[in-house]
Amino acid sequence: MPQAPPTSRVLRRGSFWRAFRKARPASAFSQLLSRLGFRKAKRLNMRTREEVEATLQVAKVNPAELLPVVQCLSFGSEAEAAECRLLQLEPELCAELEAGRSLMIRGDREEHAVLCSKDKTYDMKIADTSNTLLFIPGCETPEQLGADKPTSNIVHLQIAGVSKNFWELRRCRPKLKKLKKLLMENPYEGPDTEQEQTSANKKYTTEDLLDQVQASEEEIMHQLETLKACQIEGYWRILDFDYEMKLLNHVTQLIYTESWSFNKVPLSVCLQELGPLEPENMIEHILMSYGRKYIDEGDTYFEMNEEKICRAIAQMLLNNAVKFSLSEFQEGLALADHSSKPETISLLNIEDLPEDNQERFNNLFKIREKWTEADIVPYIQDLCSEKQTTGALLTKYARSSMQNGIKVYNSRRPIS
Amino acid sequence: MASGTLVSWPGITWGGRGQTTAGHFQGVPVLIVGHHILYGKVVRLEKPFAVLTKASAGEEPTGNYSVTALIKRKLLFKTRPKPIITNVAKKA
Repeated sequence: MPQAPPTSRVLRRGSFWRAFRKARPASAFSQLLSRLGFRKAKRLNMRTREEVEATLQVAKVNPAELLPVVQCLSFGSEAEAAECRLLQLEPELCAELEAGRSLMIRGDREEHAVLCSKDKTYDMKIADTSNTLLFIPGCETPEQLGADKPTSNIVHLQIAGVSKNFWELRRCRPKLKKLKKLLMENPYEGPDTEQEQTSANKKYTTEDLLDQVQASEEEIMHQLETLKACQIEGYWRILDFDYEMKLLNHVTQLIYTESWSFNKVPLSVCLQELGPLEPENMIEHILMSYGRKYIDEGDTYFEMNEEKICRAIAQMLLNNAVKFSLSEFQEGLALADHSSKPETISLLNIEDLPEDNQERFNNLFKIREKWTEADIVPYIQDLCSEKQTTGALLTKYARSSMQNGIKVYNSRRPIS
Repeated sequence: MASGTLVSWPGITWGGRGQTTAGHFQGVPVLIVGHHILYGKVVRLEKPFAVLTKASAGEEPTGNYSVTALIKRKLLFKTRPKPIITNVAKKA
């Protein structure tokens, strides 16, 4: 398309062209505007039908080929434009808002902000657009205009806001490490300890946790269950490990002495026998943490989870830093070292490792220089997301090589 | 919530003084800004935008935003604006 030179234009005088006055010797900016053809309107004029038609004629656009509705845009007051922010939404977040629910933005001053729906967490970033965005309430697209306005029509619309950036959301893993850290400030050791008498120690309610942890409510609740936290007097507490083992021991001892099946542990008898030793809510809590509750003929029973109990006992044994020679190891909890004689197992709990991908890998490679895929996968499983499999993580953060015919992974950079 | 459209606009910065006209030409949105004309298209946003304004109770900032609108469509004008040439009056 040939571009006309922007200089030397003869304007037809008409009532609608305010005569093209010489730009007043004002700022360079307004001179630029004039050169681009913007007029310095003395007052904001709404265009009339004649003006619109004349403009169209000059622009060589045939009014007959346009839809009869013409929308005239002008800026509203400057104040409104400054206050607005655009947030880009996934369709499901849009649905949440339309259903009347709220979204929460969470984060400390030192943390990056995240946005939480009731069950998902998203990282927030500011994205710049090369095009300027104007939002115009009431502006209509061709489909909306349709055929139901046969008469020509001028509609005047106000531009409600201007933006050159928006907030972008990206789904992320909930930042739950802080949850455990907060709860570990004051683990629960039992009701009669000195620690419980002094109420100076930090305790957190559900609201406190929602305030401080960058995750959605559902994700937090799920993690509390995984951590086997329980609510005591309205506060969420994590059990001190020794106390938890003590409770578990009571239960397993009772199961043996009563010769119950592991699948059918009656709640009422437990409370009766163990009640004198420990608070009832704690007995029930330990049964819930290590078993599944069900009702049979009106009575409550628990189906105990053997694997969970074994893991806990293994952790207890390994906590004492004793090395065992065993041929199996628990995934994600312990590390077997086949190279030392005899083969040993030591404790490496996935919960103690950092959340951040790079830090996690640095940590793992510091513990052991080379890992087989089978060994390392349990310790990076929780870093995976929809877009990244363990294979992708290994490719990104580790380097593979062959050792004795087996593929091993080591760090990409030297670990100090 | 109000409904409306986003107009996406090549980066001329505004002094807020120009006058603009928008129309639709065979389904194609047409935008006339001062002496320029642009042709665009309607884009349905896969990820709608929420317009947030700060909700402050009086003088105090509450840290809450309210969603004043959800934007699901935009008119995108990404072509270079063409200047409108006016006709020189023809001699009879």
